Amino acid sequence: MMELLDYFDGKRLLDKHGIKSVESRYVSSAQDAVAFAAASPIVLKLISGKALHKSKAGLVKLDLKGPDISKAYSELVSKGRLLKPYRIIAQKMAKNGVEIIIGGRTDEQFGKLILIGLGGIYVNIFKDFALRVCPIKQEDAQEMIDQLKSRDIVTFGGKNRKILVKLLMDVNSLLVENRSISELDLNPVVARADGYVAVDIRMLMQ
Amino acid sequence: MKKMDLTPMLKPKSVAIIGASRDPDKVGHVILQNYINAGYSGRLYAVNKNADADIMGVKTVRSILDIKEKIDLAVVAIPAQYVPMALEECGRSGAKTAVVVSGGFAEIGNTKLQEDLVSVAEKYGMPTLGPNCLGVMDPRSRIDTLFLPTYKLSRPEVGGVSFVCQSGAVGSTVLDLISGEGFGLSKFISYGNAAHVDEVDILNYLMDDEETKVVIMYVEGIKRGKEFIEIARKITKKKPVVVLKAGRTAAGSAAAHSHTAALAGSYEAHEALFRQYGFTIADDLSDLLNYAKILDSCDFPKGNRVAIITNGGGTGVLSADAIGITESLQLAEFSPSIASSLRKQLPPLVNIRIPLDLAGDADDKRYEIALNAVTSDSNIDMVLAIVLFQTPGADSKLAAKLVSLKERMNKPLIVLSVGAEYTAMHTKMMESAGLPVYESPTAAVRSLAALLKYARYRGMK
Repeated sequence: MMELLDYFDGKRLLDKHGIKSVESRYVSSAQDAVAFAAASPIVLKLISGKALHKSKAGLVKLDLKGPDISKAYSELVSKGRLLKPYRIIAQKMAKNGVEIIIGGRTDEQFGKLILIGLGGIYVNIFKDFALRVCPIKQEDAQEMIDQLKSRDIVTFGGKNRKILVKLLMDVNSLLVENRSISELDLNPVVARADGYVAVDIRMLMQ
Repeated sequence: MKKMDLTPMLKPKSVAIIGASRDPDKVGHVILQNYINAGYSGRLYAVNKNADADIMGVKTVRSILDIKEKIDLAVVAIPAQYVPMALEECGRSGAKTAVVVSGGFAEIGNTKLQEDLVSVAEKYGMPTLGPNCLGVMDPRSRIDTLFLPTYKLSRPEVGGVSFVCQSGAVGSTVLDLISGEGFGLSKFISYGNAAHVDEVDILNYLMDDEETKVVIMYVEGIKRGKEFIEIARKITKKKPVVVLKAGRTAAGSAAAHSHTAALAGSYEAHEALFRQYGFTIADDLSDLLNYAKILDSCDFPKGNRVAIITNGGGTGVLSADAIGITESLQLAEFSPSIASSLRKQLPPLVNIRIPLDLAGDADDKRYEIALNAVTSDSNIDMVLAIVLFQTPGADSKLAAKLVSLKERMNKPLIVLSVGAEYTAMHTKMMESAGLPVYESPTAAVRSLAALLKYARYRGMK
């Protein structure tokens, strides 16, 4: 039986392995969300075990400021009625960048697999990804990046290649050291020329 | 990992064919006939529970227990329900290995019967191949458990390529195709349901088999993932393994809980593993043969620069295009000194650049000049010689010249020849002499890319 790990338990696991994720908090009211935002734009997301495609289902509200926050919050609450149990999470809006996916899965034959690909809404359109069996070595991580057709986009012409290799190695140790992770989606991870941040975490545990 | 010794199965000093029959419609008849045809020189026995006289002149007994010696290989070709009992007798008689060609086990839902077979094999520590397989073939030791008559399925020559195949149907067709290619066979192992001996055991054996230079394999699924990874890591450091994996369209489960699981299903996991451990991945049956051919006969290139020498301009351009499509290969350029020496030796109508178009009247002498130049040019790593035999200068003399140049050349040389009978004849001549010939620019160029990829893997790991 697989179950969805709580977002913040997942975030703590990422922290432990040095994987950066966006500043986030559960919010239980519109006021809560406004307070979290302070003056910067935020994202509101509804998280439910019943919804995989959050953005497709309209469960992600981006770039919210001022009165938009309360409006978005009540919209999510009304959508949530059919998706109980659910929680609403507020996140700081990540800077612009390229959306990639970093994933993992336990294969019944070969054990843990690790994946990198073009992420966000492009995952299913281009299916541009590279996969390896864990544990991987630095060279494997390099090859994975080389295997992507979108490598020049994803690496900003090679500028963040080292950062992505490090990210893959960190996710590799996350997967290898936590046997109970059955599926992992960090999608999207927003990559920039000088860094990255995971803006969504989905971990299914066995 | 416990290593199974398959030597008695592939190099048996004695063979018993259980289910051997006088009746030409029986599988056991064809197998016995094949052993006789192949000229197996070990001690051969036929086993048939109703026999009262020798079958086809082969010493015949009613049970393997009646044979005085311990048999190296028992080939079992009787109806499924009698197989566990027959294997039990094999075990008791001290038989070292068994091949069960009979079908009617797990593949049709008879898992219990298959479990019985496995427990007998384990009880006696008797490596047992199959069930539901074609078995083994080794042209050196002249064993051939295939139940397909030689007039229908040509048998390949002796060589360095071993073919491991789960499916009997793919196995037999590819064998038939191999016999038409210029490379020879070391071992053929069709392992069917993989109840006891599976791909891990087979690769483990072939890894240390000195007669095997290249392994090609067709797999539907791998049973022992962890052990397979272990052997995969080791074998590709010693010899190339070309793999064709079936089940490409069975993508990740549609009902997956995550994007990763939706993208990365079982096929993708296999492919990832093959990539990671330096397998050469074939997309189809022609890749399997094309890659086997080049890996069997060419040394590793030192770099990725390919020279094209041709007697047809258009085919040269198409091949250059094919090189452009690959991400790894690059069209070579002559170094200045070689270019000026070629300028002096070749007629004025030949443009000194790659693709080097020697013109439609090029003969063996012109090719020799060009190929000597590319041999000594350090800016060139691999050579694709295009020979269109329809042209006036291309004849058997040229084919022979290419073969002798290949032997002297310290870099990979392959030939591209497109055409019907006259061409096919020369293709065969060149391939038999160890010079790989391809029928299309794409096939030739993809094969060069596969060779380079494996060479790089070996250089890296």
